Amino acid sequence: MEIKKIFLPESELPRQWYNILADMPTPMEPPLHPGTGKPVGPEDLAPIFPMNLIEQEVSPKRFIDIPEEVLKVYSIWRPTPMYRAYNLEKFLKTPAKIYFKNEGVSPAGSHKPNTSVPQAYYNKVAGTKRITTETGAGQWGSALSMACSFFGIECKVYMVKISYNQKPYRRLMMETWGASCVASPSTETKAGQSILAQNPDSPGSLGIAISEAVEAAVTGKDTKYSLGSVLNHVMLHQTVIGLECQKQMAIAGDYPDVVIGCAGGGSNFAGCAFPFVRDKINGKNIDIIAVEPLSCPTMTRGPFAYDFGDTVMMTPLMPMHTLGHSFVPAPIHAGGLRYHGMAPTVSQLILDGLIRPEAVPQLETFQAGITFARTEGFISAPETNHAIAMLIREAIKAREEGKKKTILMNWSGHGLVDMAAYEAYMRGKLSDHALPEDEIHRALNDIAVLPKPKQYRAGKI
Amino acid sequence: MKNPITPPEDSHQIRCRKLGHQISFSYCRIENLNIPCSKILECWADHFNAAEYLKFELTPDEWEKAFETAPKPKISTLLDLIEHAKKVKENASR
Repeated sequence: MEIKKIFLPESELPRQWYNILADMPTPMEPPLHPGTGKPVGPEDLAPIFPMNLIEQEVSPKRFIDIPEEVLKVYSIWRPTPMYRAYNLEKFLKTPAKIYFKNEGVSPAGSHKPNTSVPQAYYNKVAGTKRITTETGAGQWGSALSMACSFFGIECKVYMVKISYNQKPYRRLMMETWGASCVASPSTETKAGQSILAQNPDSPGSLGIAISEAVEAAVTGKDTKYSLGSVLNHVMLHQTVIGLECQKQMAIAGDYPDVVIGCAGGGSNFAGCAFPFVRDKINGKNIDIIAVEPLSCPTMTRGPFAYDFGDTVMMTPLMPMHTLGHSFVPAPIHAGGLRYHGMAPTVSQLILDGLIRPEAVPQLETFQAGITFARTEGFISAPETNHAIAMLIREAIKAREEGKKKTILMNWSGHGLVDMAAYEAYMRGKLSDHALPEDEIHRALNDIAVLPKPKQYRAGKI
Repeated sequence: MKNPITPPEDSHQIRCRKLGHQISFSYCRIENLNIPCSKILECWADHFNAAEYLKFELTPDEWEKAFETAPKPKISTLLDLIEHAKKVKENASR
């Protein structure tokens, strides 16, 4: 009988997280404080993060112990199963062996609790009584709410008002786990009051919600703030995914040629990929692919026309794809994952050529998600569908090349509270329209004289 | 003069990569304190000529603020917010 699921016993749950900072080929420069211009120190972040998490944020240690109390909570859903996608392989008629790591089995339905739990724990140890955060649709807010409930910490979630009104189920999940969830802008903070004074009907934004959450943390007694992505300690906690994958691959007697994850802020991708990046640094031949949305397919046709310096120089220079000022002057880099919302470590590893960024268009992601649901059964979160779309591309490529590749994908979460997005796809409300050729040519002519980037290293062009 | 381009109606929604759910153009148009979200051109380019529409709608200052200002890295944003919140706390204690 074929082995469908590769389980790890609880005794094999990793006891340490892996810290990529110890192995970065290009060491990360410390971010500079925008006020002083000096490197950010622990005291700068202390108003919102406990010192034990700040220490992790800057730690150079390669492996960091996972506390027993965190392991106890992890054991509710970890180790997560790794599946062999036989049905998808058969459907695609591919010689590739496809594996996916199921992070959707956590109580919150995604990879997010891998960091919300240790963050709540370290706050508890540091004496924090209350944690604030912001959320959009509520994936992070619900994960943090659950984690806080395990450690007896009060959780306050500022949920963007338009999301609060449109996504009642995740809000109810947060409340079920005991969190207090308010629509942002709220009357509870000066930041919220200021917005409401200007526009009582403001639908809110993540920017406003984070302002409220940080203000509540700084001004509240025994209160700290928690972020679910981007920061180093978040990436660190998520590596439990990839560390488990390495053990499960060994049980399967396999090793991936390709590792795929979707990347928004980068945490689920980093969690699965970083332990394999370490292997790659040490000589393994692996194609590690971070997949992002390609909302505007024509962007990849624009040249790198000029530099764009990062405000705090966390990346040395930022060459951009552009179609020129007459067309889209926004700091867009389709396929480059160099958005400022991306984890700096992921961005740097792209520049170092260790991670390959790819972008897939919207319709392809939903088609991939439906193919996955009809072969492997699981209905994926729309973000996860980006990874599935790339997985399918790679599996088809293996078929066309006649190569027996092994592909590993991180299945970061289910989409059971995201069915509105599927409905829009199935009712034909989504589209990928290519822009007219003459418009692209006109824009490209406009920028022909602009300077070329001064620096270019690996990454997608 | 009337804008020759008509944006999609609110019933036409796309997935917001920031919020993680479906949203209409009218929200993206005012997301950043009444100026457009910095990703609006990218996200809506597939659906209609958002760039031309917004060029007509926005003042040069609004356009620059929305699209030509480098977004800050997260850590920098957090540090700014901490400094701002400290001032709120100081004012409250006076």
